[in-house]
Amino acid sequence: MQQREEKQLDASLESLISRVAHVKNALHSFICKLESEYERLTWPSVLDNFALLSGQLNTINKLLKNEKTPSFRNQVIIPLLLSPDRDEDLVKLTEQRVPVFSHEIVPDYLRTKPDPEVEEQEKQLSAEAARIGPDVAQKQIQALNKQCSSLLEKLNNPREDRDAESAAMRQNKPSFNPADTNALVGAVAFGKGLSKCRPPGPAAPGHPGQGPMMSSGPTLQQVTIGVSSGQQAGMGGPVAPPQQGQPGKMPSTIKTNIKSASGSMHPYNR
Amino acid sequence: MEAPPVTVMPVTGGTINMMEYLLQGSVLDQALESLLHRLRGLCDNMEPETFTDHELVYLLKGQQGNPFILRARRSLSHPTAPWHLRYLGQPEVGDKSRHALVRNCVDVAASHSLPEFLNEMGFRMDHEFVANGHIFRKGAMKIVVSKLSRILVPGNTENTERLSLSYLVELSVLAPAGQDTVSEDMRNFAEQLKPLVQLEKIDPSKQRH
Repeated sequence: MQQREEKQLDASLESLISRVAHVKNALHSFICKLESEYERLTWPSVLDNFALLSGQLNTINKLLKNEKTPSFRNQVIIPLLLSPDRDEDLVKLTEQRVPVFSHEIVPDYLRTKPDPEVEEQEKQLSAEAARIGPDVAQKQIQALNKQCSSLLEKLNNPREDRDAESAAMRQNKPSFNPADTNALVGAVAFGKGLSKCRPPGPAAPGHPGQGPMMSSGPTLQQVTIGVSSGQQAGMGGPVAPPQQGQPGKMPSTIKTNIKSASGSMHPYNR
Repeated sequence: MEAPPVTVMPVTGGTINMMEYLLQGSVLDQALESLLHRLRGLCDNMEPETFTDHELVYLLKGQQGNPFILRARRSLSHPTAPWHLRYLGQPEVGDKSRHALVRNCVDVAASHSLPEFLNEMGFRMDHEFVANGHIFRKGAMKIVVSKLSRILVPGNTENTERLSLSYLVELSVLAPAGQDTVSEDMRNFAEQLKPLVQLEKIDPSKQRH
């Protein structure tokens, strides 16, 4: 019986030591990163490191709470031998942190009570708690609980509202209409859907957009504008001047128009 | 064969030989605020800019072929500002590797006598409309969100009727010919406006009918 318990203790100690070593390594590498790579360190990778540490601490907590783990609290450690001399084995074991196992440091390392300052604070707090009566304490507890629950409610509700809203936006409410897009593009490109202010014809030059539509000449909407990219060269393309009068070739837009502008259509020449 | 008249030569060099890269879309009136909010976040930090413009589209018809089109624009909110004359070439849709519509573009500032001048030149107004809305910039990119209205009585910009229940959204960049990399930036920007607005290269010749 005794032996089995001892074995269990050994095993759980062993695993605890290895977990603590993991935490130590993770902390070590994180500190190294913070010191040497702080210029390139990104926030997500810092968070990753924190997540790793918190995960490892969690495992240790779980290990300590495990039923199979014997209660370490019931184990007593007694210093059997104190010596003011330097102990090389100890130095090696503690990574040069503790060179001697002497009267001076043992009370610190094997301490089971909190630090004196912490002890002092705890004393003050218990005195405070004893001072106020149980009724007042109860009232304060209730007030705090009320505050917390109302705060929680406030935090939770808007999130529901927001989720509902964005879900509605995503599913039911389209923010654009492709038909409208086409109509608007048609309108800016050719005046599609816009009231036509047709040219009053050559007989009545002057104010734009006045007078009834007399000629049935092609308006912008009725003419077919070629889509071939070859015509693009019209105004700016670094191409040779348009070929004149080649059979079978559409003359470029610009040439035709400039010609017509200096030709019979031109009001000056009439 | 004699040399062609100077005016027939393609305009090259300088700032004149610019191409406009364009993506278009629209947003419903009720989603406008969300879009403006997002644009304020995405675009360069600047004073919110609004405009109200009157655009007149002029045609010069030849005996054959296509009419020559010029667009004259004036600001209704700043009546003393110069007029703006613009020539737009045929839009090129291009292949899948280019993410925006590309068209030749010449912009000129003009005096207030522009309509009379165009008339004397033989141009005739084809149609007009009023556009009002918001302008945003991000680097070289320009984002215009505008409401289009038709003019009920010709020449009277007070009496208008909105064209649709949506705002036109245009993302454009002016760049020298051949700089297709700008379309990459535009595509990335357009991605960030999804699903609020779907900015696409829309071949206008398909919207004709």
